[in-house]
Amino acid sequence: MNKPKVAFFDFACCEGCQLQVANLGEQLLDILGVIDVVEFREVMSEKWNKEYDVAIIEGSITTPHAVDRIKKIRKRSKVLIAYGSCATIGGINGMKNNFELDEIREHVYPDNAKHFPTIPTMAVDQVVKVDYYVNGCPIYPPEFLKVIKAVLKGIPYAVPDKAVCAECKLNENVCMYEKGVICLGPVTKAGCNSWCINNGNICYGCRGVVTNPQEQAQNDIMVKYKISLDLMLNKMNMYNKCREIDKDE
Amino acid sequence: MKYVILKKNKLDEFIVNLSKQKKVMAPVSKGYNNYAFEEVTRGGQIALKYIPTILPPKKYFMPQYETVVEYDTKDGKQNMEAIVEYDEMILFGVHTCDLAGIQSLNVVFSDRPKDLNYIIRKNKIILIGLECNDYCDEHASCKLVNNELPNGGYDLFFTDLGDFFLVHVNTWEGENLISLTKVFEPADDIHMKKREKLRAKKREIFKNEVKINPDQIPDLFDRSHNSKVWYKLGERCLSCGNCTNVCPTCHCFDVEDEINLDLKTGKRIRIWDSCQHESFAKVAGGENFRRKAAGRQRHRYFRKFKYPVDKFSRYFCTGCGRCSRTCMADIRLKETLDDLIKESI
Repeated sequence: MNKPKVAFFDFACCEGCQLQVANLGEQLLDILGVIDVVEFREVMSEKWNKEYDVAIIEGSITTPHAVDRIKKIRKRSKVLIAYGSCATIGGINGMKNNFELDEIREHVYPDNAKHFPTIPTMAVDQVVKVDYYVNGCPIYPPEFLKVIKAVLKGIPYAVPDKAVCAECKLNENVCMYEKGVICLGPVTKAGCNSWCINNGNICYGCRGVVTNPQEQAQNDIMVKYKISLDLMLNKMNMYNKCREIDKDE
Repeated sequence: MKYVILKKNKLDEFIVNLSKQKKVMAPVSKGYNNYAFEEVTRGGQIALKYIPTILPPKKYFMPQYETVVEYDTKDGKQNMEAIVEYDEMILFGVHTCDLAGIQSLNVVFSDRPKDLNYIIRKNKIILIGLECNDYCDEHASCKLVNNELPNGGYDLFFTDLGDFFLVHVNTWEGENLISLTKVFEPADDIHMKKREKLRAKKREIFKNEVKINPDQIPDLFDRSHNSKVWYKLGERCLSCGNCTNVCPTCHCFDVEDEINLDLKTGKRIRIWDSCQHESFAKVAGGENFRRKAAGRQRHRYFRKFKYPVDKFSRYFCTGCGRCSRTCMADIRLKETLDDLIKESI
């Protein structure tokens, strides 16, 4: 069997997820034993002009040019993976959607603004079909490996749809709310093994909101801990602003 | 019945001595009035006065992630090898509620088909209990289920009586520890009387926390299947699964295959699962037997107070109070029972 041709692409992002892949160490060598990387800007300069077996997409879609580019990549790819918060849920680039597009464009490119057409930030699956998701900012390396193996095997990978709390409890962390700190674990999809909380940080919601966040219960909790809706939305929107695009449809 | 005493100033020597033989796990403080069982090597690391740990000691009996099989499908083979992961260890300072929790798990996993992984692991763990002289906090309901006093299930049992521990030696393993560590002294009548005094005081302190005769609980649940109480709980529940993860008797698990990059070999692992997650009762085709949080909460309570009584003649609530303590939505076990009682009158 020929090794699948795999290409990595980046859109609006910090390229931190590529760095996570490049930093896999020995495991990266194992992966390179079973796939053939044909494009990966972070680590090589070669290009590939045929079909991709697997395209791995980092970054969110923020310009008309990016829309064209991702559509072209999709057409050339048998399987498409979105990885990292920017690609899977829009991520922090979504904060752009808090502002008027012209206003923000002039702020960034004062006199040259007219040369930079812009659109609201979108997650990759808000533009093209996505087959696999590796959520997180950055991606959680063990989950990336899990997804790669699922792709190679041709089986689906389901992103856990329970709260981060479920994994956090298994790791026996003291609950952030008991420390008097607001944490987005209760509304955020698990799968990261509560990576941040294990290391003393809060959950920022980078993996996206669970499908059913039990809104009534969440409201009760905000009342109990005296958290205003504005503050909560502010925290949620740091990573999850692009959610609104789906809601509007 | 054999009793010995351990002077408090000898506790450190005892733990140091034990830790040279095997891993010793004991409750330690994690700050913010939270405790966890962790490995210790000195007596000073142990929180002798502690409220139930975040996770119960079940984490040593059925680990959160456990490999049960390794498989190999190279060259058309179908080889599977059963794996048992275990650690020899001594658990020190286990409260009576948690001893009852371990007894419940023993009953479940010894039922046919027997869970050999659990049974093999259980036999490698020595249990040293520790009596509660008073309530840990307002969430406990140990008297309701008669767990404020020891009901066996330990090798040694410590009762803190001021400047010494009275120690009940319950098994050969326990006796072995006594003779190996050489820090114990014989107990006499004065020591025993001091414990009698404590037990008399405990009878005054510990009163049934819920206004119901415990014998009537299964009947109460029989009548409460369609109660409004469950729907109210359903509205409040976050479905985070904290209540089941911290429960000393919840034992549901999921099984996953973790394949290696060669796509031929791998391992099968079991992971704690929770009936509170929306995905728990979802089956092929998308049907979900417990789609709503109300049904899931009801199921949890029935798994504590009804089903195990029918099947094993014991409550699977140990009264530890962990589910109430950990619930961000303030779903309180004693309140739920009170609400069911009020509604059924």
